[in-house]
Amino acid sequence: MRTGQAGRLSRALVGCHPRRWRERYRKEMLDVLDQHQASARTVLNLAVSVLSTHVDPAYHTEALSLPRLRRAALISAVIAAPLALILGPIGYGIWQDDHWHPAADEGLVSAAFSAHAAILVTAFGVTLDGMDMVWDVTDLSRPRRLSQFEGGQPTTLSPDGRIVATVDFSHPVLWNVANPRHPARIATLPADAGGLRGQEFSPDGQILATAYYDQVLLWDVTSPARPRLLRTLDAPATSPPGSAGLLFSPQDIAFSPDGSILASATGTDQVTLWNVADPARAYRIADIDDPGAFAQGFAFSPSGNLLSVLYSGGTVLVYSLADPARPARTATVTGLLVRAKFPDGQSQPDEVLCATCIWTGEAVAFSPDGHTLTVIVNRTEMSASSGRDTIFDWPVTGSGTLGTATVTARDAADSQPFIAPSDRTVLGSPSKYHWRTWPLP
Amino acid sequence: MHGKFDDLGRFADPSLLILTSLADGPKHGYAIMADVAAFSGVSMEPGTLYGALSRLERRGWVRPLAAAERRRPYEITAAGQEILTEQVTTMQQIVQVARLRTAMAWGA
Repeated sequence: MRTGQAGRLSRALVGCHPRRWRERYRKEMLDVLDQHQASARTVLNLAVSVLSTHVDPAYHTEALSLPRLRRAALISAVIAAPLALILGPIGYGIWQDDHWHPAADEGLVSAAFSAHAAILVTAFGVTLDGMDMVWDVTDLSRPRRLSQFEGGQPTTLSPDGRIVATVDFSHPVLWNVANPRHPARIATLPADAGGLRGQEFSPDGQILATAYYDQVLLWDVTSPARPRLLRTLDAPATSPPGSAGLLFSPQDIAFSPDGSILASATGTDQVTLWNVADPARAYRIADIDDPGAFAQGFAFSPSGNLLSVLYSGGTVLVYSLADPARPARTATVTGLLVRAKFPDGQSQPDEVLCATCIWTGEAVAFSPDGHTLTVIVNRTEMSASSGRDTIFDWPVTGSGTLGTATVTARDAADSQPFIAPSDRTVLGSPSKYHWRTWPLP
Repeated sequence: MHGKFDDLGRFADPSLLILTSLADGPKHGYAIMADVAAFSGVSMEPGTLYGALSRLERRGWVRPLAAAERRRPYEITAAGQEILTEQVTTMQQIVQVARLRTAMAWGA
């Protein structure tokens, strides 16, 4: 398109805007066009402007002038048709590039369950901005995929299944999944340079707790599009940032079943209990002694009288919370990492023995009746793309002591296992964009 | 905290550029386009410019001044300065996290 033609068409398009728009901006736009070297891009840009201002309610008060609209549509169509032929394939190529995702070939890394709704949100791949998928899990063994969105790692679903909190480039983000086929981003909470450690909805769904490196924030999410900061809980780090083994773990923060106690992992290895019965006046009630490893997961027993903490070195501690201000350790199990074997039968976590063997993930949960504590450790042999889940089940007494463990193993893929709440079902990922379930013994 | 900029849809990026351009004083349409091109390399077309300006004006983030012939200068309002500061702070946080993460990932 020659400059002269583009200039004339651009000027004609300025005249195709709605009357109120023209009265306000026509002279200025013509002045800009006098100084601007118009091109096909200018014409296309103005055609889009004409169409968008005609549908903009702010400029819509005049009676619709059919001849004017018809003229605008005709000019736009004449311009758009040849451009569409050229730009269409280019645009499609760009769209494909945009939607390619490094997570496309990777396994399940994150899953958020709802306590009361048959909705599950998963993410695949290790990237922070993972591909999320929303599932109908009315029958967990036959999930139906409802939608997908690029929103980061899902970490927690509100109990009613209407809001999912994700981690998107260190920002906690809230998504409305009340209509699970059309997830919508509704709020973004602040990031922190030290990284987000975890987030969790309270059992009544009114509070979202977000754990950062050295503090925990409590948000009122009764209006989820406008989260209101209720309380900042400082958890000063006892060691410098950067020395943490892992920055993010899906189970790093947990509410007790009645919502009165919050357990958080901050710093490099600090586990703290907070009284959050009145979230606006929440306070620290106890620090849990440190076994020198990174806390990877919490599980409260269904009655809330026991707390189990799983550490990255393969240590599990159980505490009685009969007096939450003085948590009493009732059980200590170490060495799970050694006892969980790799697929080829090797048991040592020594990289010399198996350079490609890694510890992919782990999960901890009490059974719904509170009589069993389960820990699953996934160990993976990367070069063979195979993995093995080792399942440790301990009978638990009411006072929190553990009986003898039953240890079983099953072949699995290289994925993080997730234990569905209120169920004895485990999610794992055999291949990209897939997950499967299997029942615990 | 939902960013107010997110409500601007496809005009979010042009709006940020326009507010940045007006931060050091009022400018008319073509001067904004030339300034934006000079400091960011972004070549903004008139349709985009006035689409974004009208939205900024409706939100009270910029204010039109008296026109001299066909040229009407715009100036940033106090609310516009506040939103620009907020947006820049968010971007600084992103840069800070990106630096930290890349330093950790590559051992720089």
